[in-house]
Amino acid sequence: MTLSRLPTSALRDCRTSSGEGTPEKATVTSLPERPNAGGQTAKKPVTESTPQSPSESQTDKQLIQRVKRGDRSAFDLLVLKYQSRVASIISRYTNDSQDILDLTQETFVKAYRAVERFRGDSAFYTWLYRIAVNTAKNFLESRGRRPRGSMEAEEAERLDSGDWLRDVATPEKLMQREEMYEAMQRAISGLPEELRSALLLREYEGLSYEDIARILECPIGTVRSRIFRARDAVDRELAPMLSAD
Amino acid sequence: MDDRLRETLSAMMDDQADELAVHRLLSRAGEPEIREQWQRWQQLRNLMHDERRDLATVDVSSAVRDAIDANAELPERDADAKATNPSRRSLRWSAVAAVSMALLVGFGAGAHWGISDETGAGALTAGLGLDGNDDDDAQDTPRVPEIALQGLDDEQREQMSRYLLEHAQHNSVGMGYGSMGYARVASVSTGLR
Repeated sequence: MTLSRLPTSALRDCRTSSGEGTPEKATVTSLPERPNAGGQTAKKPVTESTPQSPSESQTDKQLIQRVKRGDRSAFDLLVLKYQSRVASIISRYTNDSQDILDLTQETFVKAYRAVERFRGDSAFYTWLYRIAVNTAKNFLESRGRRPRGSMEAEEAERLDSGDWLRDVATPEKLMQREEMYEAMQRAISGLPEELRSALLLREYEGLSYEDIARILECPIGTVRSRIFRARDAVDRELAPMLSAD
Repeated sequence: MDDRLRETLSAMMDDQADELAVHRLLSRAGEPEIREQWQRWQQLRNLMHDERRDLATVDVSSAVRDAIDANAELPERDADAKATNPSRRSLRWSAVAAVSMALLVGFGAGAHWGISDETGAGALTAGLGLDGNDDDDAQDTPRVPEIALQGLDDEQREQMSRYLLEHAQHNSVGMGYGSMGYARVASVSTGLR
């Protein structure tokens, strides 16, 4: 296919395997730049959009439906999905790691109790973030402290990937993070080209399977399978580091 | 967990799984293997998107589960308490029934009511409805028609069939107009309908 059909940001990282202008399948060969260990962003990420915009999470809707029917394991999957991001939001209000864990836990418990009242007008992600921000603010007020900057939920969401988080990380954590990131980079680089392209287009460009299928000129089922196999391969490489964490 | 399920799980991460496959997977969502796989892939995604390293692998899921379980104990305890009430009530009623029974049987025997066999006594208690045990009630239910229909001859049986049919028709026509089911006042033995 022609590269003109690729998103602008993907074009930067795609190379055709043969001559100029030849309608060939696109390949994604490089990972986006990342912040270095010191926390300085060397280059802006390929795209600032998250892979899933909150409004389009069908998985969340399905999980919530099941939670409303009393399926706790479905709620468990939501916790596993969002706990890191909720902790990240809460960490803007307090630096104490135990407080972050406690408030993250409290946020999910509150969400579970209130899930019957969640009508789905907003994304679950947004709703959860509001609970997290309010929980953090209430916590600070209960301790007689003002929330830092009185951040609102939307603002907290917008700043979710802000650099200031790195300021509170210890050198050991930064080192670990760097090692982990490098291991992941190696694992992704070592993937067969077709798996790597599918994974990167999904994770960094946020493209749907349908779009990826069009770009890579293969059926959607193949895209699904390639992304799964890519994740599986990277997971196998990093599993020891993740479990040792 | 087979590869097909894991592929569905991967597609779920991207909101690209079809509903049927998700349904199949979620029916097994309680399995630790599925949870662990989901968690590791989420961690990898966090890492790929450069989330804070020490928070990328944070795990409060078991603490949340415990907290929810602990909170859920209260209503369950209430439910348990409510569940015990009927049995207490049932015990009280059983005691009342026993005393009433003793008085009635004693008084009846003294007055020569002729209730001397077990069937009669059983019919009396069943009529009073004082047993209070649902299981026993359910077991007793089939006995009533058996007693009511026993000893019918062919003519009576035919009459009963017609009666039941007419009763059903009467109910269907009179539905909504407060028609009274007249089965209770009919007598098979007299041939009245």
